[in-house]
Amino acid sequence: MKILLPYFKKYWRDVVLTTVFVIISAFASLFQPRVLENIQKALIKDQTSGVINDGLWLIILAIVSIASGILSVFYSAKLAQNITSDLRETTYSKIQSFSFANIEYFSTGSLTTRLINDMNQVTNLLMNLFLQLLRMPILIVGSIIFSIITIPRYWWATLLMTGLIIFIGSWVLKKMGIVFEKFQGTMDEISTQAKETLQGVRVVKSFNQEDQEVKKFDQTSDRLNGYNLQIGYWFSTIMPAFLLMGYLIIALVTYLIGTSIKSHPADVAVISPYLNYILTLLFCSLNVGMVSMTFTRGNVSLRRIKEVLDTKPDVVFNEKVPKSALAGSIEFDDVSFTYQGNTDPTLEHISFKANAGEQIGIIGATGSGKSTLAQLIARIYDPTAGKVKIGGSDLREVSEEALRKTVAFVLQKAILFSGTIKSNLKQGNSEATNYEIERAAQMAQAQEFIQRYSDNYDHEVEERSANLSGGQKQRLSIARGLISGAPILILDDSTSALDAESEKKVQQALEKELTGTTTVIIAEKLVSVMHADKILVLDQGKLVAQGTHKELLKSSPIYQEIYQTQKAKEKRGDL
Amino acid sequence: MQKQKTPWQYFVSYLKPFWKGILTVVLLSLISNVANIIAPKYLGNAVTDLTHFVSSGFHNQGNIADFYSALGKMIAFYALSIITMFISWIITTRFNAHATNHMRKNLFGKFQRMTIRYFDNHQDGKLLSLFTSDLDNVYNALNNAVFEIIAQSIGLIGTVIMMFMINVKLAIATIISTPFVLILSIWIMKKAKKYLDLQQDEISNLNGYINEQINGQKVIIANGLQEDSIAGFKGYNGKVKDAMFKGQFYSGILFPLMNGLSLLNLAIVIGYGAYMIVSGEVTKAVGLGLIVMFVEYSQNYFFPLTQVTSIYSMIQLAIAGAKRLARVEAQEEEDQVADGQELTKLEQGVSLKDVHFSYKEGKEILHGVSIDVDKGNSVALVGPTGSGKTTVMNLLNRFYDIDSGSITFDGKNIRNLTLQSLRNNVGIVLQESVIFTGTILDNIRYGKPNASLGEVIAVAKEANIHDFIDSLPDKYDTKVTDENSLFSTGQKQLISIARTLLTDPDFLILDEATSNVDTVTEEKIQKAMDNVIKGRTSFVIAHRLKTILNSDKIVVLQNGNIIETGNHHELLAQKGFYYKLYTSQMAFE
Repeated sequence: MKILLPYFKKYWRDVVLTTVFVIISAFASLFQPRVLENIQKALIKDQTSGVINDGLWLIILAIVSIASGILSVFYSAKLAQNITSDLRETTYSKIQSFSFANIEYFSTGSLTTRLINDMNQVTNLLMNLFLQLLRMPILIVGSIIFSIITIPRYWWATLLMTGLIIFIGSWVLKKMGIVFEKFQGTMDEISTQAKETLQGVRVVKSFNQEDQEVKKFDQTSDRLNGYNLQIGYWFSTIMPAFLLMGYLIIALVTYLIGTSIKSHPADVAVISPYLNYILTLLFCSLNVGMVSMTFTRGNVSLRRIKEVLDTKPDVVFNEKVPKSALAGSIEFDDVSFTYQGNTDPTLEHISFKANAGEQIGIIGATGSGKSTLAQLIARIYDPTAGKVKIGGSDLREVSEEALRKTVAFVLQKAILFSGTIKSNLKQGNSEATNYEIERAAQMAQAQEFIQRYSDNYDHEVEERSANLSGGQKQRLSIARGLISGAPILILDDSTSALDAESEKKVQQALEKELTGTTTVIIAEKLVSVMHADKILVLDQGKLVAQGTHKELLKSSPIYQEIYQTQKAKEKRGDL
Repeated sequence: MQKQKTPWQYFVSYLKPFWKGILTVVLLSLISNVANIIAPKYLGNAVTDLTHFVSSGFHNQGNIADFYSALGKMIAFYALSIITMFISWIITTRFNAHATNHMRKNLFGKFQRMTIRYFDNHQDGKLLSLFTSDLDNVYNALNNAVFEIIAQSIGLIGTVIMMFMINVKLAIATIISTPFVLILSIWIMKKAKKYLDLQQDEISNLNGYINEQINGQKVIIANGLQEDSIAGFKGYNGKVKDAMFKGQFYSGILFPLMNGLSLLNLAIVIGYGAYMIVSGEVTKAVGLGLIVMFVEYSQNYFFPLTQVTSIYSMIQLAIAGAKRLARVEAQEEEDQVADGQELTKLEQGVSLKDVHFSYKEGKEILHGVSIDVDKGNSVALVGPTGSGKTTVMNLLNRFYDIDSGSITFDGKNIRNLTLQSLRNNVGIVLQESVIFTGTILDNIRYGKPNASLGEVIAVAKEANIHDFIDSLPDKYDTKVTDENSLFSTGQKQLISIARTLLTDPDFLILDEATSNVDTVTEEKIQKAMDNVIKGRTSFVIAHRLKTILNSDKIVVLQNGNIIETGNHHELLAQKGFYYKLYTSQMAFE
């Protein structure tokens, strides 16, 4: 709840207005029986003027009740939406400040659930908070006071009931809170499972695993059903139990009035009002219970949102330093890196230097740490030990803007966003001119297929880039990296889905056009890196050799092995 | 496409199995309501008895005995009312939960049976919100609304009958404003519905946006696009806010409005009652009694209306959800060809004859492609990006059906084979590997869940991933998800290769299977693949010529047409497109 406080402060005007109108509307409800009672009394006493007078009061009360009711809904809805929308934005902005490790920790599915479902729970919570929880205490306290005033002798009966309601109610709510949390966790599982079969639908189908998936899902669904039932049973029990208690108290008080009627004959008349007050007290308490169902749920949701808000981004930039681009030199100073939750380091004691304008190749077996090394340059992760320096500055001392201006990173997995081809390319540099866009597309060998579209660069990229092939995605992804004109360009196995001819053209264009750029090329194939100024050979997270192709052929057994394997294959191809 | 159920039919179809329970709930509600109407009468009797006792000067002990017995009856009827209510709630909880569970399972089951075309054309986020928000709304409505509607209808009908039995004129005065009230509330309800629908759509859009953005977070981080992402988010978020505000406002004002109208109705009843007395139509005593009674009845009459309107937004959301759920349920399913021929083993080969295909009508991708793959042979499909190579794979596994021409397995048309037996015999390795949440073991034996650990280790060794798995603390029991960075992309691909190896299919489709694997590993996998391909029929879709040099036949595809066919030497001799591709690759060396 605490995380909502600043928003209450921000929208204090709406909070005040909501409160005022809710209070007016609650009092209109409290006075309604009084007016009715007066009308009936006036009728009995045959006072026509009184009937007309109170009748007018009734109409005024109705109008006040409608007006305050509508206004309270208006302001509470406005307030609830303002707060939810702000909170959602704050949370999303927070997520955008996260490092990739932070995101992996939560998982995409869980973050989406938090931003959508949990936020919906917060909206419900806020609406209930204002419309019910503000109104109910007024009615509850009012009816407690009135019931005691009606028959002060039995004050303890009212208080006994109030006490029982509080005691049982809070116990049940606590119990249910636990079930709710389990429910929410299972709901997450449902969401993950559904998501994975959506993303992997081709795998599911080609392995004929539909039935298996259904079986797995059914188990989770049954578990969720179990929690739903538990929650439902609690509610089905607690509400009748409360009602029964209320009527027993009413019967008890009536009985006591009956046994003591000789000494208090006037008490006959208070039975009916007493019943009314107790019932109001009871129904309002039940209502509070009902509302607290969404409250328990809302609180669980708030906690899940708070988890996101309380997470410290584990990559923080120094924003006090200049934002201009740095020089293109790269230096790794005894860098080690271990992924969160892993015991074995992915990179161990890596040290190397690359001068500005050089071409650096990184080669090594799958899982040797090539991609991880590249991601450290772009500061997607921070090293566990050691320093990564660009242009002579430790990355921890560089502003984010400077880093992004300096390093362009083309990821192994080509990810595009829905929008147009142009909007995707411009992500590399929002100020890029048409000429720059076309030049980058040309270099990435994307120009040809883009020009085949009638709407060229305005051609739409669908969600999951469903209308593009793997090769087309990679070309656009490369072009996006080239467009920035950054002093350092990292290509993480970015040409894997390209045919050999296109790959060659891309390489030639890079060599020709990007003479001043430090290019880091990660490749599975030696041919892609053999012309580099410096080749880094990685093996199981260790930098086992570095040098030019010729030097490595002489000095590095691992490099030789890669070379031989590749050569053997070429030969076999020539047969 | 099947006929789409209306939301009402959707609910009915899921609640039908519980008709006994619903009937019981209706009966119990009836008892509960009647008992609830009778009980206060005994309290009234008790008060009357006590009053008589007082006015008899505390002498008539019979009165006090009546008082106790009335009190007892009151408690008995309240208890009856509460107990029947309790039982009916328990039953309601049961059938609601079970019906929703059934809907959820059916939805997921439906997802498993729908066509690939559907998934290629719909956003994951939108489909996901069926599970997260639509089903939730349906459940909430069922849970809170079904019992409420049944109980309130009984209360409403009972009250109307009672009113007309007591006094027709006052009964008419009580219900005369109802048409106006109904028209007003229907107008508001329509507004509310409009915005609640909009709200759901906007939430779906936001969901889709968030999903896409966070899934591409690495790109966002690497390009420093956080501010742009937030700016885009604000647009969607603002639309959600506006729609939700209007939806909440219109559905929220119904309750206070009805409350106020109930008070105005009281004024009408009292006014008319007073007029009846003044005009001498009824005596004062009778008139007073009637007014007192009808004040109660008017409230009893409005109460159900108010209650029903207060759960209105819940019902609206549920109807909107049910509509979407029903729409998915009516979607086309894959043709299982259950009565088709079983493909037990591939005896002769696979052949494509004059295959035309388009994803969207009018945009043909393949223009009459014919390829023959003899049993035991390996055919390589090469060609530039966008030539239609991946499309061919979509067809061989029957993810899509062809427009014209034919695809045959051993001369049997693919459309006449049971889908299950077809896919059992066709193994594929996709461009993009998918990891499912679970253990590594489960991931490898995905296609063959009963495989032993020994078998799994064997294929993991073949796929060159065993050593890595063995180095993990929990080895094959290590938990993985698609999002954690335990596996590199190459390792994911190795897992998916192992997965395919395990199922030992007759016919293999390899779609750039080795593109992300380093040369050393590739060599080992190539060897494993050579073993798998041996004696098997295979179809390799690759951009790299090296991996397909050993194939028996090479088919060169360009712009959806086959331009060259032959083995490596024949094609080189032709000095055509293939020759150009091949020599340009070699030029690197």
